[in-house]
Amino acid sequence: MAVGASRPRLGAGQSGIWLILAAGFGFALLFLPDFRTFENLANILRQSAVLGLIAIGQTFVILLGMIDLSVGMTAGLVVVLSCWLLDIYPAFTLPVAAAMVMLGMAIGVVNGSLVRWLKLHPLILTFGMLSVLQGLIFTFTDRSVGRASDALKELANGELFGVPLSAILLVVLVVLTQAILSRTHFGFHLLAAGGSPDSARKAGINAGGLQVAAFAIAGGFAAAGGLVLAGRLGTGYPLAGTGLELDSIVAVVLGGAALSGGRGSIVNTLAGVLALTLVSNLLNLFGVSAFVQMFAKGAIVVVAILVNQPRRAAR
Amino acid sequence: MKLTKRLFMTTAAALAALGLAGPALADKETEERQTAAAKEAVDTSKFAKEGPYTIGVSAGYLANSWVVFALQHIHWEASEHDEIEKVIVTDAAFNPTKQISDIEDLMRQDIDLLIYWPVDDAAIASVLERTVEAGIPTVQAGGGFTDNAGTVSNAYISQWRLGEMVARNLMEDLGGEGKIIAMLPIAGTTAAVDQLDALETVLEEYPDVELLSAEYGDWNRAKAKQITENLLQRFPQIDGVFSPAGQMSIGVAEAFEEAGRLEEVTMSPGDEYNGWLKWVAENGQGGAVTFPTRAGQEAVKIGLSILKGEDVTRGTAVESEYIAPEDIGDHVEPDAPDDWWSTELPEEFLPKQ
Amino acid sequence: MTALVPTRDGVLRFLSAYAIVAVLAAVFLLAVLISDAFLQPKYLFNVIRQIAPVGIAAVGVTFVMILGGVDLSIGAIISLCAVVSAVLMNGEAANLPMAIGVTCLVGMAAGAFNGIVLAFSRVSPFILTLATGIAILGITQIFSGGTARGIVSPGFREFFNYRIEGIVPVLSLAFLAAVLVGVLIQKRTLFGQYVFLTGSNRRAAVLGGVPVRGVTIMAYALSGLFGALAGLALLARSGVSSTMSGQGLEFQILAAIVLGGTTFEGGRGGVVGTLAGVLVLVIAFNIVNISGLPYHLQMVVMGLIIIAASAMYGQINARSQ
Repeated sequence: MAVGASRPRLGAGQSGIWLILAAGFGFALLFLPDFRTFENLANILRQSAVLGLIAIGQTFVILLGMIDLSVGMTAGLVVVLSCWLLDIYPAFTLPVAAAMVMLGMAIGVVNGSLVRWLKLHPLILTFGMLSVLQGLIFTFTDRSVGRASDALKELANGELFGVPLSAILLVVLVVLTQAILSRTHFGFHLLAAGGSPDSARKAGINAGGLQVAAFAIAGGFAAAGGLVLAGRLGTGYPLAGTGLELDSIVAVVLGGAALSGGRGSIVNTLAGVLALTLVSNLLNLFGVSAFVQMFAKGAIVVVAILVNQPRRAAR
Repeated sequence: MKLTKRLFMTTAAALAALGLAGPALADKETEERQTAAAKEAVDTSKFAKEGPYTIGVSAGYLANSWVVFALQHIHWEASEHDEIEKVIVTDAAFNPTKQISDIEDLMRQDIDLLIYWPVDDAAIASVLERTVEAGIPTVQAGGGFTDNAGTVSNAYISQWRLGEMVARNLMEDLGGEGKIIAMLPIAGTTAAVDQLDALETVLEEYPDVELLSAEYGDWNRAKAKQITENLLQRFPQIDGVFSPAGQMSIGVAEAFEEAGRLEEVTMSPGDEYNGWLKWVAENGQGGAVTFPTRAGQEAVKIGLSILKGEDVTRGTAVESEYIAPEDIGDHVEPDAPDDWWSTELPEEFLPKQ
Repeated sequence: MTALVPTRDGVLRFLSAYAIVAVLAAVFLLAVLISDAFLQPKYLFNVIRQIAPVGIAAVGVTFVMILGGVDLSIGAIISLCAVVSAVLMNGEAANLPMAIGVTCLVGMAAGAFNGIVLAFSRVSPFILTLATGIAILGITQIFSGGTARGIVSPGFREFFNYRIEGIVPVLSLAFLAAVLVGVLIQKRTLFGQYVFLTGSNRRAAVLGGVPVRGVTIMAYALSGLFGALAGLALLARSGVSSTMSGQGLEFQILAAIVLGGTTFEGGRGGVVGTLAGVLVLVIAFNIVNISGLPYHLQMVVMGLIIIAASAMYGQINARSQ
């Protein structure tokens, strides 16, 4: 695969997830009176924000053919720490938020450096990190601590002209990161190194540096997701981040990215996130029994990835 | 550290609940205050409305037999009232974020009453407040008494009183002396905090009883067994076991049995979990202090009273009862699975066996 | 097989195997220093029995990993099989053979489903088995209704928990037997060779006439079968089959396999290494337990061990290339 050829375009070949999303939406609009309300659409956007933020970061890592399993627990750690801190210093939302994002990035840098220098497999390394972070969270607290500040709660639950603030934040960041990916050297190198590491190395691209950068971005966005999650929960619930790492990977893959790297886009990841939230919302609104929901979610994901699978050989 | 955290939680709860402590802070004093708070009247006039009613049930989790029985009690009670048109159930599968979304989705479906049990009280406090603001009364089913603005009323089981009954029975069976271990549910849950506090309060009256170690078996039989295996290794002599949850008691008893040390130990009462009742019937010791699954039924009754504008208090206690080992025969169902509860549910509402 | 493998690879494999033995010895030594309980055969076999469900499943998943795949649905398969077997036993000893047989078929079918989809598509095994895991968990919940249905046959648990000579529980022997079967499949069958060939170079394997699709389906079916056996082991150990009983085990299983020297890239590793990895994991857990450290430090310890061990393999690989 030539270096330039793997550059993603929105449009033909990769819009599968948008078609699926549109179909699901159209279906819901036709058959569900409850779905049509503006409040419900706002609900879906609000419920997507946390996963959306984390999935943006995960996309960067997956573009390089790696995976980050520690993002969920990073978000969980941020939920607990930020609520604990904001309970003591309720007025300092901005400094605390900044510190949390830096903490997330620091965890990412540790991940990236270990992958870069010790040649650890990202999956196993970040799984180890997941376990360590989870243990640390529980050693710190085994119950909900502190409370989120009003500013954080407003960010997570508030609205501007009826549009959830968290959704606005998500869309702004999606546009920004998509621009970085498709308009900057950094993005170009990322896609090139992910698509074909050997040719990228020959072209003089610093693959190791890119790895560290991608993990740092993932950690930073995981922390951002954790902050919104803290606002949504209002309290530092120690298990809050559980499962977000897997959901974020599913969302990215639903968006058409290849786990082998080199292919994917942030905008499509957003569609993957919306699709996951939509499924959950529809199953609730249709009154599907709780036990069937779990099966339906798994089955829908299986079908979606089969429909949306890579056309070219993955490896 | 622990103390400061406790202080924060108290402050937080105090703001929300007019100077009354929240559910996480439990001790005898709190228990008494909560009993008083539970007697306060609810202003039901703002919720009163004509039927037919749709009830939303937001389950924090459903993968647990007690909760499944409690849910069947909800369905049963609902079927007895023609004015209840529909019961919609959502399952958050232990994820509080999903429970928030679930409750938001239920509000979109125009429910008239919300019955819930939480994954985490604090995490859903604000969405429950929004629910009440939207004119939908909320009733907590089966947990400890919750004194938040978002919880209109409770069908509650006092873990503290249950823990006290279990502890007193154990002390009596032990003859007031010996070394004991405690097997508690998930660390940090109201159940674990209250049970341990009740035990420690009772222990003050028995200076000759020593608590060797308090462990958290997460309501999990296999885990309780594994932990006990390690305790047996650590302590050469264990005279008694404080374990209010029957499904963990069996795991504990099995570990003692396999180590050949069942003779030395006195088991406390568990609850009316069928596997435990079978063990009691077989071994003639322990007994049971019930953790009634009919709490679900009570929640529906309370909710209906609120919707009809009748007099309701903040909390209705679903009382635990002691069943002595001799009387266990009336409660145990030898042909039912272990993971089953002694219950008054009619045949057609029993869970799949 | 050996003729196809260059000597350096042989050295590498020796080093990998040696590394896990060294780690196992170090962890065991640490354990003995902390508590002499680890010198008592009774306690040791107890430890082995504790980990039997994880260990048995890990044997099956090892083949999937050698193939270059992964099976994240294994925890859900274990739960499903535990519930299915308890319901089929229905408290009657006469139902035992039927219950065990059907349970194995259910596990194999679930695994084969993964295998078929992966053999005939380009979907990533990571994401597919993650999704089938969710679906299987849902099936288990629909089937069980949330309670642990079913009654274990009399004699079933008694048999597996019986201690030969008062020391060796049958269940711990069942685990060792599963390892032995795994080793035989790996070393003595054509399938075992094909798995390695496919894992180390899929294209070459296809050119060399290896039925890659069949091998893929069979490896995942085998993983499902061992998952079913693990479900039975779990039932034998805990006596009750909650719908969540296998949840999270997939990560312990993966950790044990990778500790044992089988990599995500495939083509390398084996069942013996997995056995060592399983033992390292369970001894590490029990060190935390018996030394009275907070339970949650288990996770930190497990995480650090995984990172450290896999860093060691990374170094060995890098040096020998």
